[in-house]
Amino acid sequence: MRWVWIALGAVFLAYPWVLAGPFYERMGALVLLAAISGSAWNLLGGYAGQASVGHAIFYGAGAYLPLLVFTQWGLPPIAGLPAGIAVSVLIALVIGIPTFRLLGHYFTMATVAVAELVRLVVSNWDLLGAAVGLSGPAVSRGWWDLSFRSSIPYYYIFLAVLAVVLLVTWQMERSRMGFYLRAIKAGDRAARSLGVPVRRYKLYALMLSAAFTSVAGSLYALMVGFVDPDSGLGILISIEMLIIAALGGAGTLFGPLLGAVILIPLQNATNSWFGGSGSGATYVIYGGIIMLIARYQPGGLMNAWHALQERRHRRAAAVEPRHAA
Amino acid sequence: MVIVQVITGGLLLGAVYALFSSGLTLIWGMMNVVNFAHGDFVMIGMYVAFLIYTYLNGGPIEFVLASAVVLFVLGVWSYTGLVRHVMSGTLLSQMLATFGLALVLRYATFWIFSSNFRSLPEDLIGGTLNLGGILISMPKLVAGVVAIALTLGLHGLLTRTAIGSQLLAVSEDRNAAMLMGIRPDRMQALAWGLAGAGTGIAGALIATFYYISPSVGETLALVAFVVVALGGFGSVPGALIAGLLIGVIQELSAYLLGPVYKDVVVYALFVAVLWIRPQGLFGKF
Amino acid sequence: MRKLVVLGASLLALGLGWDASAQSTIKIGVLMPLTGNAASAGNSSKIAVELGAEIVNNAHPELAPLPLAATAGLPGLGGAKIELVIADHQGNPSVGQSQTLRLITQEQVIAITGSYHSSVTLTTSATAERYGIPFVNGESVAANLTERGFKTFFRVTPLASDFAKNYMDFMADLGKAGHPVKTLALVFENTEYGTSVADTVRTYAKERGLNLVSDIAYSANTTDVSSQVLQLKDKKPDAVIFISYTSDAILYVKTMKALDYLPPVMIADNAGFSDHSFITSSASLAQGLMNRSAWSIGKPGSVTYKVNEMFKAKTGRDLDDPSGRAMQGFLVLAEALNRAGSTKPDAILKALSETNLGPDQVMMGYKGVKFDAKGQNTLAATYLIQMSGNKYVAVWPEKSAEKPIEWPYKGWK
Repeated sequence: MRWVWIALGAVFLAYPWVLAGPFYERMGALVLLAAISGSAWNLLGGYAGQASVGHAIFYGAGAYLPLLVFTQWGLPPIAGLPAGIAVSVLIALVIGIPTFRLLGHYFTMATVAVAELVRLVVSNWDLLGAAVGLSGPAVSRGWWDLSFRSSIPYYYIFLAVLAVVLLVTWQMERSRMGFYLRAIKAGDRAARSLGVPVRRYKLYALMLSAAFTSVAGSLYALMVGFVDPDSGLGILISIEMLIIAALGGAGTLFGPLLGAVILIPLQNATNSWFGGSGSGATYVIYGGIIMLIARYQPGGLMNAWHALQERRHRRAAAVEPRHAA
Repeated sequence: MVIVQVITGGLLLGAVYALFSSGLTLIWGMMNVVNFAHGDFVMIGMYVAFLIYTYLNGGPIEFVLASAVVLFVLGVWSYTGLVRHVMSGTLLSQMLATFGLALVLRYATFWIFSSNFRSLPEDLIGGTLNLGGILISMPKLVAGVVAIALTLGLHGLLTRTAIGSQLLAVSEDRNAAMLMGIRPDRMQALAWGLAGAGTGIAGALIATFYYISPSVGETLALVAFVVVALGGFGSVPGALIAGLLIGVIQELSAYLLGPVYKDVVVYALFVAVLWIRPQGLFGKF
Repeated sequence: MRKLVVLGASLLALGLGWDASAQSTIKIGVLMPLTGNAASAGNSSKIAVELGAEIVNNAHPELAPLPLAATAGLPGLGGAKIELVIADHQGNPSVGQSQTLRLITQEQVIAITGSYHSSVTLTTSATAERYGIPFVNGESVAANLTERGFKTFFRVTPLASDFAKNYMDFMADLGKAGHPVKTLALVFENTEYGTSVADTVRTYAKERGLNLVSDIAYSANTTDVSSQVLQLKDKKPDAVIFISYTSDAILYVKTMKALDYLPPVMIADNAGFSDHSFITSSASLAQGLMNRSAWSIGKPGSVTYKVNEMFKAKTGRDLDDPSGRAMQGFLVLAEALNRAGSTKPDAILKALSETNLGPDQVMMGYKGVKFDAKGQNTLAATYLIQMSGNKYVAVWPEKSAEKPIEWPYKGWK
């Protein structure tokens, strides 16, 4: 395991130096951002098997608060990050208690409905800029605004946050909580009969997931400097988290990162190459690749990797005795 | 008087909701597969109607039938070519696959027909009926009648025929059904085909009074999802009633509270219903 | 994955190398929503801007009053041709920023025009400002865009306050002609575009003593609009102003027919009602609809008529106002570029701020183009046009009218 961490760390630390140029630096930052939100979603949707399509609420809370503290009190936007986490965890509690009674599709639909509710309310809420949205500092007032022209500072901030998220996930995976969540994923009723405090652990997973998703939202707001109901709370944001985690492998540590590493450059490349024609080819190719991956790797790409490794192990194991003989 | 008109409008709108949700009930509710591409199936049905009308001069009967056939084929293909292979994966992989399919369908249409909005002439299916001052739009009335017919037909098919019980058997327990000599894949493909046909009919009918554009499915799909979930998974009549209910609630709240709040009311009510009845209005648990 | 990215990078670089070989071209970036909900308008604007580049790059003596039309290329830059680099921002502010970065740093464009949505213009112009790249906007109307103290941002289009004033003057004129307008209703979609225009109209209506009997906000891309129409039918205002995107615009006129409602005066605020898709699909349901537009095809033989013919040859339909404003934005940029005689940002910015075009030198119905310190065009203006048959014709103010105003609104009748 350790060499994977080191190799990954090295690759990501070196990336901006290998592929120089502001567009690639920004794309790298966007990959990391998507990996953060995908990994955050993964805690609940992957490990605990509770497919939420409402995570945009937490993302939005994280994105709105930094810009709110700036527009209201002129504070540096980063000051809103902890507030975003607090609000998200609170919302997670409020939503989690009733919705975790629901199973499967009902849970998913309830998260969709709550997220749309929040989006509609924010669209009419003047304090949050209603439909117009909120902007960050147009011109940076100092380093504390974290408003950089280059994407490299964002890149390394995102990388550090991603490392924290993955570390926490890794720890959780090996702890009792990880075991409980996997039991819950296998079946609510079965888990309960094993003595797993199902609702409580679902709620823990949701709160942790919400907190990290909120951080992702705040980082987005810091970099883009603008959020409106569509770009902060739209249903597509929730869907993208799900897609990224599912593509790479939901419920695996590196799945969302892998998903982000594939999907975000794919989005950028298809849009840069075919977007200008206005033909819609961008999405035909993007959607087609998603479809094909799902068709041939329904368990996510990490599964394919694991299967491959297992086969290699088995072959190695099969070879060894012969050596002994 | 206005309020009667508002409620009438709500019922008509609800009938339309029920109409385009019927296909989703079958796939999502019965077969337990989330189809993110449902709205885009409706959209394809609308384009079939548009093409048949524009290039072959076909009337409503022709294009509704043609759309049903085209979408039946698309439904069967979606299952055999895509969904069948992801059934072994989790719920997420189905979402992933159908989300990809939705993008491909939407933007392939965009590529071929451009992003322009189109519409069919107003009076293909009658105009407006005046019942003592209450105005009833004929195309929506027809949509309503067809929605009820489709629901009854589907319900009858599932509860009264051999094919229906085989379909239900597959959705209950695939392996057990296989042991009974039912071929689950064939049954599933049939379910997708039927759902597609229903969706095609819906799309073609809606095209007579709605605008047609590649992204129109996005607007419609979310409503369909709420209708099916509110009605309760696996309940065909539930979707009809939920559709009507949502239509009336939307129109009433839009008229009384303002249009921006109509979806707020619908979603709030939806969450409240799920809280009280976690299995939806008419669902089995 | 690094391999994949490197592959992508080298492919992009290949594209760059190929472009660099053609020396006397100048790259201008165009940001438009070519996919997503506003794709219809975005693609139309893209074609209009492409036509603009064609007019600049080739000799078109017949369009002589328009700057740069008569000559081929930019004489001020040794006859250099303009090459457009078009990017799709998908209606998403973050994608817009990424594409702006790509245009500036990969494609090395020297100036940018776009981006239709005010929300996207907000983020893309901020990125351009950080890189000091000139940004000329032809069509976004949100007031705050020019309030940010940017040095690189210029806007050619008229603003909400311009057209709100027009609507009031128009209704006053109707009163003088014996069709008094005392009560007004406002129906607007509640994103930034609709709310900001509605706010301005509301302020002006109050000033003029109009009675606002109905003030209806609704969410864009809605499935049904009958309650709004019933609301209006109930309140019977003398005039209704609609502020909507295309899909809703089509639904409104269809629903008004289904519910048999005709206001005496129906005014549309551009956007959806100006989209060519609206005109081709719903003109027959909206006869006598008033609309704001700075674009008028004009009489046969006029410059605007010829421009329209060129657009028609490419697309098979008339040029519409939003696309025309985007094209005008590009032409203003090209004219300044030529005067700058250099591709250095500072020179272009200086030329832009010194822009001084007269009414004959613009294709839109502006009184000209001259920027104030904030970068807003102070000479922007609009006409009112009316749906007649299958197209709009200019009817107000009287001096630019092609036809007398028809009253009342006829809709589908």
